[in-house]
Amino acid sequence: MKFYVCIKQVPDVNAPIQIKNGELIQDTDRMILNAYDASAVEEALVLTEEHGGEVEVVLVGPDKATETIRKALAMGADKATHIRTSGDEAYDSASYAHILATFFQDKEYDIISCGKQSQDTDAGLTGGMLAEHLDLPYATNAVGLSIEDSKLIVKRQGDTGQEMIALPTPSLVTCSNDMNEPRIPSLKGIMQSKRKPVESVEIADLDVEENKLKSKTKVTGYREKPEREAGQKFEGEPEEIAQKVAQLLDEEANVV
Amino acid sequence: MSTLLAHIAISDGKVKRSSLEVLSHLRQQADEHGHSVAAVIIDPDADSYTGEVQKYGPSTIYTISDSIFENHRNTPLLRALNKVIDEVDPYLFAFASTEGTKDILGALAANQQAAVLSDVSAFELTGNGITATRPVMAAKILSENEAEGDRILVSVRSGSYELQEQDTDAEVIALDFSMEESDIKAKLKEIIGTSGDKIDLSEAETIVAAGRGAKDEEGQELIQELASTLNAGIGASRALTEAGVIDPSLQIGQTGKVVSPQLYIAVGISGAIQHVAGMANSKVIVAINKDPDAPIFDIADYGIVGDLYKVLPPFIEELRKIKS
Ligand SMILES: Cc1cc2nc3c(=O)[nH]c(=O)nc-3n(C[C@H](O)[C@H](O)[C@H](O)COP(=O)(O)OP(=O)(O)OC[C@H]3O[C@@H](n4cnc5c(N)ncnc54)[C@H](O)[C@@H]3O)c2cc1C
Ligand SMILES: Nc1ncnc2c1ncn2[C@@H]1O[C@H](COP(=O)(O)O)[C@@H](O)[C@H]1O
Repeated sequence: MKFYVCIKQVPDVNAPIQIKNGELIQDTDRMILNAYDASAVEEALVLTEEHGGEVEVVLVGPDKATETIRKALAMGADKATHIRTSGDEAYDSASYAHILATFFQDKEYDIISCGKQSQDTDAGLTGGMLAEHLDLPYATNAVGLSIEDSKLIVKRQGDTGQEMIALPTPSLVTCSNDMNEPRIPSLKGIMQSKRKPVESVEIADLDVEENKLKSKTKVTGYREKPEREAGQKFEGEPEEIAQKVAQLLDEEANVV
Repeated sequence: MSTLLAHIAISDGKVKRSSLEVLSHLRQQADEHGHSVAAVIIDPDADSYTGEVQKYGPSTIYTISDSIFENHRNTPLLRALNKVIDEVDPYLFAFASTEGTKDILGALAANQQAAVLSDVSAFELTGNGITATRPVMAAKILSENEAEGDRILVSVRSGSYELQEQDTDAEVIALDFSMEESDIKAKLKEIIGTSGDKIDLSEAETIVAAGRGAKDEEGQELIQELASTLNAGIGASRALTEAGVIDPSLQIGQTGKVVSPQLYIAVGISGAIQHVAGMANSKVIVAINKDPDAPIFDIADYGIVGDLYKVLPPFIEELRKIKS
């Protein structure tokens, strides 16, 4: 099977951040492969190791995002396409979905997989948009994948239970990080990744319709969340502090 | 005057509270800006919920009743939603941010060429769109957003708005719908572990959440006991859903669910930002952890530093006394 995995470079949410005059100031050295995409890569690798096939990753992003492509190649992906942007564009999920849809127009594939959301924005929109543009059947929030009779069997986490869905190919799936532990690239993997092909495509060469690239949404600023103050902390004899807190929940907080 | 439309989600035979929260907010926005409010219910038995939905002020309720909606599936749901949009021509279409919504929102926006903002914690109409607040960076900070256009979709986190009753005589309009099973390429084969009579976490007043510290059998028994004493829903950190100890649909956090109960008791949970992302809007947070430096204590109103196996038995006993 031919897998395309859409991967995104995102800022590490664990890195310290500052907000100055409504703008977000982040350490640009701490950019990572979106965790949900890492799971999507991992799963595509496992399935192609088992059933044969090829894994190609696609990333839309600035030059700096090459390191994220290398990470996916070092994990084991066979090749990559880097759709280059200047990095200054205010693209939203819809813009990325249009760019990716244009790229996939003339491609052959069995499965396109995406992360279920970007770790920094939690938007969770691109996958469904891309499926709609390409008119593909799709499933989101996959927590398990397998291949049976050349169908992709998706276990997806729904609101209450887990739904088992059989997707014909070609189709699209968005992955949760609850399906696997992405492998850490080995030294050999890292060495090999340097020789794997990365095709570079300029956004301008893709001929994405200009008006479709224009975002209908924009971020106008950032602000701190109202701080949650740490309250009372009780240490000491377990029995005593447990009783004390139970009473406070009743008499002070009124929540039991 | 334009129409603001609320999608009403039904789960386990009940109207989702989070949908009524969205509807309540639409009513308020419509009054402020001079628009009308409609609601849509898509369910095998959609008409049986109109009475309850009517209490929250829509002037029209559209229903699509078809057995094809027995279980959530994105293909028929999208077809129905597109049909409703064609019929109602809403300026704004608002959803509760459930997994069902997350499954279709992107595709619906692409089909409608609509501007879309997902998982917002607040939004207001403006002259030519909406402004909305979204938690970002694992909900560490808030972003302010604008969406513009003549069609806007938005999904709203549960607990963002209060329910506000405003009884109306809504007109109920049943829309025709038909779809062949053979038109659905993605085949639903099986559903595993529906919650049945379990408490819906996104609506629970009280949640007891278990983390790695409460992984073993004794820990799980204590969690069950605490939850039943408080009539609470049980939730979990990723450490426990990943280990298969707790049903994955009960994970709370960035990957899991967002909850906003009156009382959240975190037992043996360290308080990683991805967990906190899902529960920081709880009204009162209690943390039980043996590590005095666990980050969960930074956001807890009541922190109990101690071994959960020693703390929980007297805690449960005292709560039982209070309850009786
Ligand atoms: C993209 C992404 C998304 C994620 N999404 C989620 C999510 O949705 N939800 C989620 O929960 N996590 C999520 N995580 C994982 C998260 O980062 C943490 O790994 C996870 O929350 C840790 O779970 P924990 O607190 O139970 O375990 P730990 O961090 O291992 O903490 C266990 C705690 O129990 C305490 N303890 C141990 N024994 C006892 C005892 N006897 N008595 C009292 N205390 C005890 C310890 O002191 C410790 O603080 C995500 C991670 C990533 C990268
Ligand atoms: N710039 C991009 N390049 C490649 N894939 C992307 C890009 N942006 C989004 N995606 C895919 O869409 C998913 C996230 O969608 P969203 O949460 O809408 O940003 C990611 O997990 C990727 O699979």
